[in-house]
Amino acid sequence: MSKASQPSTSKAKSTKKTKSKVTTVKLGATPSHSQRINPLTAFVNTSCSEDGTRNTSQLTNKGKEKQIYSAELAVHAKKVLDVRRWLDEALVGGPSGKLRKYRRILALTGPAGTGKTATIRVLARELDCEVLEWRNAMVDTSPTIFRDDALPETTYPHPYDSESLFSKFEAFLARASMCRTIFDDASESSSPQSQSSRRRIILLEDLPNILHANTRTRFHVALQSLVMSSALNPVPVVIVVSDAGMRGEASDERLANGSYGKDRDDVLDIRTILPKDILNGPYVTQIGFNPIAPTLMKKALQTLISTHFASSKCNGFAPTKETLDIVIQTSNGDIRSAIMALQFACVVGMPGVKGRKKGSSNAAVVLQAVTRREQSLELFHLIGKVMYNKRKGDPPNPSATARDMQKERDLDALLKDPQKLPSFLDSHARRTSRVNVDLLYADSPVDSSLFSLYIHQNYTQFCNEVEECDGVADWLSWIDSSGGEAWYQANPHRFHLLTLGTLHSLPSPVPRRGQKLFKPEFFDFLAKEKDAWDAVRDVRGWLMEDAAAQEGDGWRLGGWCRAEVVTELGGVLKARDAKASRPHAPASHRLFSSLQFVFGGDDARLSQLDEGDAFSANVDVLEDEGVAEGGWSDIREGGGWLENDDIEDFY
Amino acid sequence: MSLWVDKFRPRTLDDLHYHERLSARLKSLAASGDFPHMLFYGPSGAGKKTRITCTLRQLFGPGVEKLKIDQRVFLTPSKRKIEVNLVTSNFHIEITPSEAGNYDRVVIQELLKEIAQTQQVDLNAKQRFKVVIINEADSLSRDAQAALRRTMEKYMSNMRVILCANSTSRLIAPIKSRCLLMRVPAPSDSEMETVLTHVAKRAYFDLPPEVAQDIIKDSGGNMRKAVLVLEALKMQSPDLSGPLTIAKSDWESYCQKIANLIVTEQTPARVMEIRTKFYELLSHCIPPTVILKTVAEAVVSQVDETLKAEIIHWAAFYEVRMRIGSKKIYHLEAWVVKVMSLYKQSFYQFDISDF
Repeated sequence: MSKASQPSTSKAKSTKKTKSKVTTVKLGATPSHSQRINPLTAFVNTSCSEDGTRNTSQLTNKGKEKQIYSAELAVHAKKVLDVRRWLDEALVGGPSGKLRKYRRILALTGPAGTGKTATIRVLARELDCEVLEWRNAMVDTSPTIFRDDALPETTYPHPYDSESLFSKFEAFLARASMCRTIFDDASESSSPQSQSSRRRIILLEDLPNILHANTRTRFHVALQSLVMSSALNPVPVVIVVSDAGMRGEASDERLANGSYGKDRDDVLDIRTILPKDILNGPYVTQIGFNPIAPTLMKKALQTLISTHFASSKCNGFAPTKETLDIVIQTSNGDIRSAIMALQFACVVGMPGVKGRKKGSSNAAVVLQAVTRREQSLELFHLIGKVMYNKRKGDPPNPSATARDMQKERDLDALLKDPQKLPSFLDSHARRTSRVNVDLLYADSPVDSSLFSLYIHQNYTQFCNEVEECDGVADWLSWIDSSGGEAWYQANPHRFHLLTLGTLHSLPSPVPRRGQKLFKPEFFDFLAKEKDAWDAVRDVRGWLMEDAAAQEGDGWRLGGWCRAEVVTELGGVLKARDAKASRPHAPASHRLFSSLQFVFGGDDARLSQLDEGDAFSANVDVLEDEGVAEGGWSDIREGGGWLENDDIEDFY
Repeated sequence: MSLWVDKFRPRTLDDLHYHERLSARLKSLAASGDFPHMLFYGPSGAGKKTRITCTLRQLFGPGVEKLKIDQRVFLTPSKRKIEVNLVTSNFHIEITPSEAGNYDRVVIQELLKEIAQTQQVDLNAKQRFKVVIINEADSLSRDAQAALRRTMEKYMSNMRVILCANSTSRLIAPIKSRCLLMRVPAPSDSEMETVLTHVAKRAYFDLPPEVAQDIIKDSGGNMRKAVLVLEALKMQSPDLSGPLTIAKSDWESYCQKIANLIVTEQTPARVMEIRTKFYELLSHCIPPTVILKTVAEAVVSQVDETLKAEIIHWAAFYEVRMRIGSKKIYHLEAWVVKVMSLYKQSFYQFDISDF
């Protein structure tokens, strides 16, 4: 980060320089070396390959491949330090030399494009150790990264061998960890100095298909044996897991339906990749990566641009400052996509460079079309659109700019007035809504089930009277119970019904009193409920054992059904606790038996929905720490674009 | 030491304190040698399971008391593993299929098939058949009930099924028609008093009649609850003298307070507050139907006569939705909002007509 000031100045220079150049180039003129149509193939074919930045399909953070240092990573310095410390401890054993035993598996988690793999690669090079990486090669018979001649040629998987992919994986793990020990012993006996050149880490990024139950079990067994192996100098394993945005609802729904536990393994996350006992055991360290903060990303991209355009050989268009900002804004903290977008901007040149005022918005449109991610409309805006229930002829927001007002007027001109309702339906008369439900549905980042949870969490703040709540609550209830039990019986119109029903029920215009959007508490309580059910099981087990221990008293074994334990046993358990009578009931019974009534809601526990929250369902993705150390908070304070009033500027 | 409920449970049909005619009938059934499939139903805490176990003893003798707990793993078609606890003796097996959640059909099928295909090997056994007890039969899914129906007929030669349920309304007709229905009604107040005095005697203390009356009033015909309350009371104040207050369990008073919240204020903010309370209750595993019932009863006791019917109507309405739907909180909340708006409307109407 020490280079921070220097690149930015050079960047300013470079933009100035290129700007003058670009204005002379007509937009229509196709740059000779690029294929403009498809940005992805354009990257591959860019002939400007002398410069490393062109090959951004590699996960290079910036600059030329061989020049990356860990200090240059766009990842937050603290995270890099964490990883480095872990690697240090794993390879050497930390300051005391004893930690090595417990540094077996490092799990790097975080959204895509946050520099997880890049960090490992860069650090591995700096620590001078070799990365052994597993690849699920389906046809490719070329050996995995065993580049040195440690293994004889014959041990490589033969093109026609009958080994399943997973046995190959097991073999890979075994060999990777085995040959480490062999060489280490050899080198240690000869010269301890050469040891460092023999350091290895195993990188697992391309995992076997662990969504298949059998493969997952075998994978867990393999990891377990790896962890338990008493090898003298174990090879540390790094597992890189990109959190996929949780789109599906199935696992939670099923959980809510009353089948307990064991159902969550349909989602690919760290909990399914690592078995529970290992994950909670001493051998696994988990480091979560946060989306790259805009400030850090800006710095990185600026350095990238300046180094790229510093070499005179490259033609192309240096992006303007606005373009850069848009790129950063649309990337959502995904540096890989940011670099992609940036390269695209360099190759074709943005309409914005024509120097008009409207240019930046055009550039935004183009860039958004390029970088369009799956979760295109942010949840925050989706909920905002529905909750603010804008209708034709609403008075503009006091903070709205003239352009926004004009936009609203244009929109209103397009909207038709509804037909007049007969007098007995007067209560249902509404002005035409400005919300386009079809568009919302197409752009929604969440499925209707999760969407309904968000609506449910937030609607009360936007209502004036209970009667309005009644409409929304009834719609929620109706939609939840419509359709059959199986997925194919689900009501396909849930999203539309819910949106329209909510819009119809909410007051118009919605009062503004600084409402904040919150994430649903549903999942927290679901998790709590699960724990409590575990406690119920404990208590039942206790009752049974207790009864079974006494000959003849075993009459009622198994007789306690769960509902009875929960609803009727509380008093006795409490009395027993007070008396400390033996044998003790499992202390966990308080999870279901003790309920303190507190007046008023405690809002402190609610977590607010922010614009950066793309992964809304993963409740634990955004920790407070992460928000603070990322730069999102800077923006919140500085620009103030997370203020709720600002929501409407988007519509 | 085990709980009094378990410790002083009657062991034989002769020991039972109430419903003597039912006991006599069970006894003669067990003696007849032609024992049918049975379905015991009745309110919670009426003594269904006690009667089942007594009947078993009547059938097989004391050998049925030698119990062991098995943990069995079942494999679903999708290769998911389900662990279910089974209580077994040489003569019977007891399962709670709702432990298996949505996969109860697999458990029922596998288990019954397995039991039905193994003959009784004990030559000294009094009966040729084994008994399968299915607890909480009314929470069996449709699939499981359908699976049960066929098996019940097919393996009649060496297996009998005893179902235990609170109400028969959730059981499909073919099951009901294949069983001998045994209704176990809740004990009357005097019967409960007899039992409580008996329990007190076995625990070596005297139970003051007033305390017994208090307990009976509180427990509402639930014998198990009454004995549990008695034990808790005895633990709190060993001599059972002075003014005793039967503390309601936490969740009950919680529900009561939610009802107060509903009646005192009807605003969106209050809805939000109540939602948090409901979430708390749900996260403490209180069954949502029980929550709805308890809160509804508490609300009804505080409102005008004209509103009562409507409130209960909507409670029933949303309970049905709750059973079909998956997110219980929506329906609880929808009911609360409905009650609030009803209450508010009636309140204002009343005001207007008054002037």
